[in-house]
Amino acid sequence: MASGDRIDYVFKVVLIGDSAVGKSQILSRFARDEFSLDSKATIGVEFQTRTVLIEHKSVKAQIWDTAGQERYRAVTSAYYRGALGAMLVYDITKRQTFEHIPRWLEELRSHADKNLVIMMIGNKTDLEDDRAVPMEDAKEFAQKEGLFFLETSALQAVNVEMAFLTVLTEIFNIIIKKNLAADSNANNSVPSLEGKKILIPGPAQIIPAKKGMCCT
Amino acid sequence: MVKKGVPEWLNSSLWSSPTAASAAVEDTDDNHPLHRHRVSVKSPGTSSRREPSPPPPHPPPPPPPEPVEETTFVESEGPGFSADEISRQAQLLAELLLGYLPKDRGLWASELEKKRSQYAVFKEELLVNPDTEIIEQIDRDVKRTHPDMHFFSGDSPSAKANQESFRRILIIFAKLNPGIRYVQGMNEVLAPLFYVFRNDPDEDNAAAAEADTFFCFVELLSGFRDNFCQQLDNSVVGIRSTITRLSQLLKKHDEELWRHLEVTTKVNPQFYAFRWITLLLTQEFNFADSLHIWDTLLSDPEGPQETLLRVCCAMLVLIRRRLLAGDFTANLKLLQNYPPTNIGHLLYVANKLRAHPAR
Repeated sequence: MASGDRIDYVFKVVLIGDSAVGKSQILSRFARDEFSLDSKATIGVEFQTRTVLIEHKSVKAQIWDTAGQERYRAVTSAYYRGALGAMLVYDITKRQTFEHIPRWLEELRSHADKNLVIMMIGNKTDLEDDRAVPMEDAKEFAQKEGLFFLETSALQAVNVEMAFLTVLTEIFNIIIKKNLAADSNANNSVPSLEGKKILIPGPAQIIPAKKGMCCT
Repeated sequence: MVKKGVPEWLNSSLWSSPTAASAAVEDTDDNHPLHRHRVSVKSPGTSSRREPSPPPPHPPPPPPPEPVEETTFVESEGPGFSADEISRQAQLLAELLLGYLPKDRGLWASELEKKRSQYAVFKEELLVNPDTEIIEQIDRDVKRTHPDMHFFSGDSPSAKANQESFRRILIIFAKLNPGIRYVQGMNEVLAPLFYVFRNDPDEDNAAAAEADTFFCFVELLSGFRDNFCQQLDNSVVGIRSTITRLSQLLKKHDEELWRHLEVTTKVNPQFYAFRWITLLLTQEFNFADSLHIWDTLLSDPEGPQETLLRVCCAMLVLIRRRLLAGDFTANLKLLQNYPPTNIGHLLYVANKLRAHPAR
């Protein structure tokens, strides 16, 4: 976390899903490699960062953890702004949390960027004996909706890292592709505005390495 | 050095780094989890500071609890208030906060009796036909209320009984307030009330803790309920407007800090103040410190909401140096994990931010 560290990209990722599915635990496992036995309900929003290397670039994941309860939706919708990725979490031992996934998806799609990379996560595989959501059901749903899907255990540190790295790498690839396309667009000297609208990522989302570009 | 528009006392190093020069006076047990937020009190005689700050009008935080004799000192047993302190807190809650008791003390007993039997009726009538969704949500959060304190958490009979009380209070409240029902975080606001009443040395009172807590909770939320109400989020009384008032208060008292936070680093106050305000600071400090702050919130003549906003503003001002040096990420992390603070100083600064100083 030294302040002099070079950051090539900042990706904002949001964690959503019903209350008590383990969103905060997934985040604390990823950001600090911890599992807290006395976790409290998240009120409003909480925020963590972790920097990872992807293809020799340093990517700072800025992860927003939001309250699960419906009441907080109005306030949290602002948090979707600028998000490039989302972790959509349910609890494999609580069928209802999986059945609410379509609602969450709808909310994501209405508030967030269309190119949002979404990973659906079935958490708490350490409670296999209490499983109420077969993995096949979830896989099928994920395929139909075009989502990434993994089952995790924040408690046992299973697949959490993989889930985030998958999302971050996918975002990274999309950005690289966009930049390449933008470059080739420039080379072909077709300065079409529509092209730019699609191809150039907003400065609030991707911060180039060069210092002085932002906020000084 | 002193910036225009910033009162000199705001720049005092006293506010920013209370630990640096302080001799550990009484806090010998710094590793104790319940004390981890408690900052040593500056020992008398070391205060050769430049700024002319009078001593805080509030007493410094109470000394750490004496380990209970004989019985092993259970680390999570509570904030360790003495019976007298609890008694005083209970009085304060009943008297100042709630005003549901008539001023004439002679009528208290019968009033209390009336309330308590009313609550018994609620229990009988409102706990049937439960709304399962709300109850599941309440159950999840009751289990997550102060999991570090044996009073609230664990499998002991008393913890179980306390959780049951919690559950009933929240369910009855939700039934009686269909516009709000249960909102996550209410359990955190309920906890200090119940803790104080349940530990009242007066056994009759302690036995009626659930009923008394319920009515206190209703009274307390009557001043704050709009913050919990989603329909009011965008109205002049809802949470957003409350947060805007905090922002304006900061701008008025410390425009430099306000500008740095909201303009330069773009830290939307909703990202931290939402929790500060809806939970009345219960999640920002340890339990004992929260109770200490509540003392002030509930007894200040300006009322709990105004006082809360001043305390929140003071929290920002106290760490202004770190905030002014921070970027978006550093500042948001700092504000979402507020550093250990001397509560006496905090309340002193909050008192200074009064629109019309008492003195």
